[in-house]
Amino acid sequence: MTTDSISALFASAASEKHSGYVIRSVDVKRVYKMGDSETHALRGVTLDIERGEYMSIMGPSGSGKSTYFNMIGGLDKPTSGKVYIDQVDIAQLDPRELAWLRCRKVGYIFQSFNLIQVMSCIENVMLPMAFAGLDAEESRDKAMDILEQVGLGDRALHKPQEMSGGQQQRVAIARALANSPVILLADEPTGNLDLRTGEEIIDLFVMLRDTLGVTIISATHDLKMLKASDRVVWIDDGLVTKVTTPEEMDISVADVH
Amino acid sequence: MNQLGIQEKLPFARAMRISIQGIRIRVGRSLVTVSGVVLGIAFLMSNLTSQLILKAVQSERELKQTVDLMQALVKSEIGVLEGKQIAVAVFGELSNADEQLLARIRSGEPAAIRAFGVSGAPYESYPLEKVGEGVVAMLVLGDAEVAGISLGDLTAGMSQKVVLDSVDDRRFEDALDSGVRRELFFGDQVRQRQAELKAAEKQALFRTIWIAAISMFVTVIGVSNALLMSVTERFREIGTMKCLGALSAFIRTLFLIESSLIGVVGSVVGVIVGATLPLLVYGFLYGFPTVLGALDYGLLGLAAMGSACSGTILSILAAIYPARVASNMVPAAALRSTV
Repeated sequence: MTTDSISALFASAASEKHSGYVIRSVDVKRVYKMGDSETHALRGVTLDIERGEYMSIMGPSGSGKSTYFNMIGGLDKPTSGKVYIDQVDIAQLDPRELAWLRCRKVGYIFQSFNLIQVMSCIENVMLPMAFAGLDAEESRDKAMDILEQVGLGDRALHKPQEMSGGQQQRVAIARALANSPVILLADEPTGNLDLRTGEEIIDLFVMLRDTLGVTIISATHDLKMLKASDRVVWIDDGLVTKVTTPEEMDISVADVH
Repeated sequence: MNQLGIQEKLPFARAMRISIQGIRIRVGRSLVTVSGVVLGIAFLMSNLTSQLILKAVQSERELKQTVDLMQALVKSEIGVLEGKQIAVAVFGELSNADEQLLARIRSGEPAAIRAFGVSGAPYESYPLEKVGEGVVAMLVLGDAEVAGISLGDLTAGMSQKVVLDSVDDRRFEDALDSGVRRELFFGDQVRQRQAELKAAEKQALFRTIWIAAISMFVTVIGVSNALLMSVTERFREIGTMKCLGALSAFIRTLFLIESSLIGVVGSVVGVIVGATLPLLVYGFLYGFPTVLGALDYGLLGLAAMGSACSGTILSILAAIYPARVASNMVPAAALRSTV
């Protein structure tokens, strides 16, 4: 599949919009082989995620949550089953096309921010734009816009280590938004933040969903995050055990840990 | 919408900048890596320079000894040169020793040096039959074959008929029955020593090559190890870049640029250090004019270029494996927060 054909594929998929689902996973299984032993990380997950939805994924460590997360972020391929990101079956993409997908369709937000320490804020935000082929001038303007959007316009030239955790996470969010992705994938985004800064990040997510219509998927144990989301998916032992709305889950909070 | 085509070209400048930033920020670590290359190349270069200096100093000394020997013979045969006529017959090119001998003879102020076979300002050029007329002795220099010239013709008109020759097996047609006394500048002993020196030189060359190979090997291992550590250190950074859409080739480029910068800087510094140290040491040992005067700068330059190039190339070679490890890393590594 050539570059042109993959972008055409994405374009047609987006224009048709025959389905409101931005991610569809059908009976996804993932088996890790370590020598002779096999680990079944995912044992048949079927889940559709709507465009513009804010979804939280919950599950204890070792539940397969991270594996599923990697799968829908185009970081890993299923052993069997299908994962469609924006209508494209990721199993059929070669490494180059997967890079293309990660660059333009998905924005990643990490628990420990993962900003490139040697670069300033704006350079961090410009990096994915460079991978997308934007020239420096164009991307500088665009990056500045996004940084202002997340409230860090005046910090553009600072290095990450000069900033607070909350600010760093905002830079990371700005970087994730660099190429206007359809999906924001956040892995415990508030895990390294205090309560109040965590809330600010949650507010930012809600704002992004409402204004940009971007789909947000976050793995979290943060109660406030769970409450802000549209849907909470519980994964345990490689299977989806429960799908609830935040309103329904008040009672079961005790199960979280 | 062919932006992927652009992506391949554009990030080279980007990669260059990121690499330089990376080196700058990790100054301490980069310096250690660079110093590995510096050490290896300085070792190599100092070896080559020492060889060149020693060879230069030795051949200078050898030359002086040779000329001393020749002059001693001239003195014992002719005595004081002042006011005497001397003939020189040259077959082929004059060697360095021949030139210096002639210079010394000239400074003894003979009445004239008549020459057969060489031309040039200091010598009066004579034809074969006339060159020996009235001279006290004739020097035969150069080591080319004598073609159809008889000793009798050459020494016609000489008063003493003494020929001082620099080659013992020079074949004059009438060598035995010409009645001319031939004395040789060098005996068998000198010849033997020259042969021994040649053999020692060969051995030294072999040792140099061996040492060079080992120092290069050490350099490669050192750089490779440092870069592998750098890959591990940047595990998450690389994973993050991949998550952001970096191609494996971009990551590979990043490491290759870094290693070639390390290689260039390390090699240049190494060459400078490696050339300066032996020059200083031997300069103090033999005197700077001797060392600097006798040195073959063409060869020294060649050694410097060779060392610098091989340092750069080797450090790029050393980066191939670490770069492959880095570029093969899965992007999901970025999600592991414990690294």
